[in-house]
Formats: sequence, structure tokens, C-alpha cells
Amino acid sequence: MTPFRSTPAGYVATWEPVEREVLARVARDVADLLSADSGLPEDAAESAEVAFTGVARVPRDPAVQRLLPDAHREDEEVAAEFRHLTQTDLAAGKVARLRGFAETVDPSVEPVTDPGDGDQVLVERDGAQDFAAALTDVRLVLAERLGLDDDGDVERLHDEVMSGLMSEDEDEDEDEDGDDGDPDEASGFDAEQRVYWGGVFVAAGFAQESLMDELLADLRARRGTD
Amino acid sequence: MTEAATQEDTSTEEVFGLADPWVTIVWNDPVNLMSYVSYVFESYFGYPEAKARTLMLQVHHEGRAVVSTGPKERMEVDVQAMHGFGLWATMQQSDAPGAAGEGA
Repeated sequence: MTPFRSTPAGYVATWEPVEREVLARVARDVADLLSADSGLPEDAAESAEVAFTGVARVPRDPAVQRLLPDAHREDEEVAAEFRHLTQTDLAAGKVARLRGFAETVDPSVEPVTDPGDGDQVLVERDGAQDFAAALTDVRLVLAERLGLDDDGDVERLHDEVMSGLMSEDEDEDEDEDGDDGDPDEASGFDAEQRVYWGGVFVAAGFAQESLMDELLADLRARRGTD
Repeated sequence: MTEAATQEDTSTEEVFGLADPWVTIVWNDPVNLMSYVSYVFESYFGYPEAKARTLMLQVHHEGRAVVSTGPKERMEVDVQAMHGFGLWATMQQSDAPGAAGEGA
């Protein structure tokens, strides 16, 4: 995975086919989870303007709760009213954005035309904010699953993923402490799953960070000339 | 220049005047990137780079920041936008305990 760079056509990065596959799949999984747990009507993603008359329920999944949080910390009535007014629109918008993200990166939708160039992911300028926001939602759900509660947790995960990448070549994972199979206390992932999903989290963060650098530079350049 | 400055003074008084009983608060989380939060504050609120950065750092270091002030209906719009971006935002009355002081 290379950083996004601004080009005349839009923001361009090179992702390995496996990176594109995995991020497309996880984005679709998050969209399905969000759709089901927010009580979104079946076709709401396609017609976001559809009149919604039901009562929006509080999501059960803590990751979905993070995507659709309470709007007031103490006043349940204000939070419930806000949820009633906004949840369907918010969830439908996020679902559509996640599916759009998946379409953009999915190698089966955007096949490799020239293997010598690697897999180019092209994010058009108009769609870049949605693309970045979809990455945020993916990262928020992964962080909840990985039990990342504070900055220290995220730093430790980065270190684990990076050292995992370094030692991968040496292939000397000898089960030295004998607890490789134990589920991680905070997340319910075992060690292997934690490294895998941790890697996806770190890759999504890398992609987003480089995209935000370019988006911010373009936004400031545009505002500077207004 | 002069006109723009005058307009800004007026709107600042309006936005932070006594008649505005609600605030939008953005809370820290370990996931959102500092650059992304800055982008949201600059692009959505239209805040200058320096103000957006100050608010972003306040969220990061103090755990939260008041990012907008106004009538309840306006704050609902801002909170919805923040949730759309994936930021963790709440609203509350600005004279409620915790609106300006220590957190809940």
C-alpha cells in the first residue's frame, strides 16, 4: 500500500489485490451490520429520502452504538428524540458511503488493467470526503472489536502489528509462551485474529492519514484563494 | 477588509451571545486522526486553520471541546453532521454542569 497522492484525475494510491479485497469486504460487512442493527428498512440505502415512521431503536452492538451515539449524555428524552429524527438518515448515508467505498477499491469491480502498475485506487475529488468518512467508520468498528479504548491501546497495537510484519519473514513463531490460542481479554480475538484485524486497522489508518494530508492541503489551497 | 471584520464581530456576538443556550461538544476517541478532525472542523464549520487546530488539540488533550453554540435546533444539525463524519459528539444546554467545566 502506497500513500494517496493528489493527481489531476483525483487521489491515487497503489493497494495490493489482497488489501483491496479485504478492505472492500470489511466495508460491506460494516454496512450490513449497521443496516441490520440500526433497524434500517431493506431498501433505505437506495432511497434515503423514504419516509420513515417507525421508532428508531438504540443499536445493540457496541460498535454500531459508536457509529450512532447518544446525542445527549444525561437527557434520555433529548437523545431519543434526536435518534428518532436522525438515525435512519445517518445510517442510510453511512451504508451508502461504505458500499461506495467497497465499489471503489474492490478488485473484482475495478480489475487490474496493467499488472506492472500495481493496483491503482483512484478516489475522485468529489468522492474523497465520503471515502475518508467510510474509512473512519470501518476503523471505529474494528477498534471496538479490538478493544482499543485509549491512545495507549492504539499505540500498542501499532507496535504489535509492525513487529509482526518484521518477524513474519523469519517464521520462528515457536509458541514460546504457550498461550497463543488464548482469546485476547479485551476483544475476544485470539492472537492470530488480533494480528490480522490489527493489520487491517493499521492499513486503513495509513490510507486515511495520507488521504487527509492531501485533502487538507487542497481544502486550504481552495479557501486561500476565495 | 473593514466590512468583513465588522461582520465577523457581529456574528461572533450572535453565536456566543446569552440567547444561545445550547452547545455542541466533540469528545476524544483513540481512532479519529488529528488530520481528519482538523479537516472536519475546517470544512464543515468553516473555521480558520488555527482555530480548527486549537479545537482539535483541545479535544485530544482535554478530552473534549465545545465546537459550536446556538439554538437547540441548530445544534441538532451540527451533532448530526459530526456523527455523519464519525466524530463522537453530544449537545447540551450551555449552562448545564459540564458544558464549560469538568466532564461527566
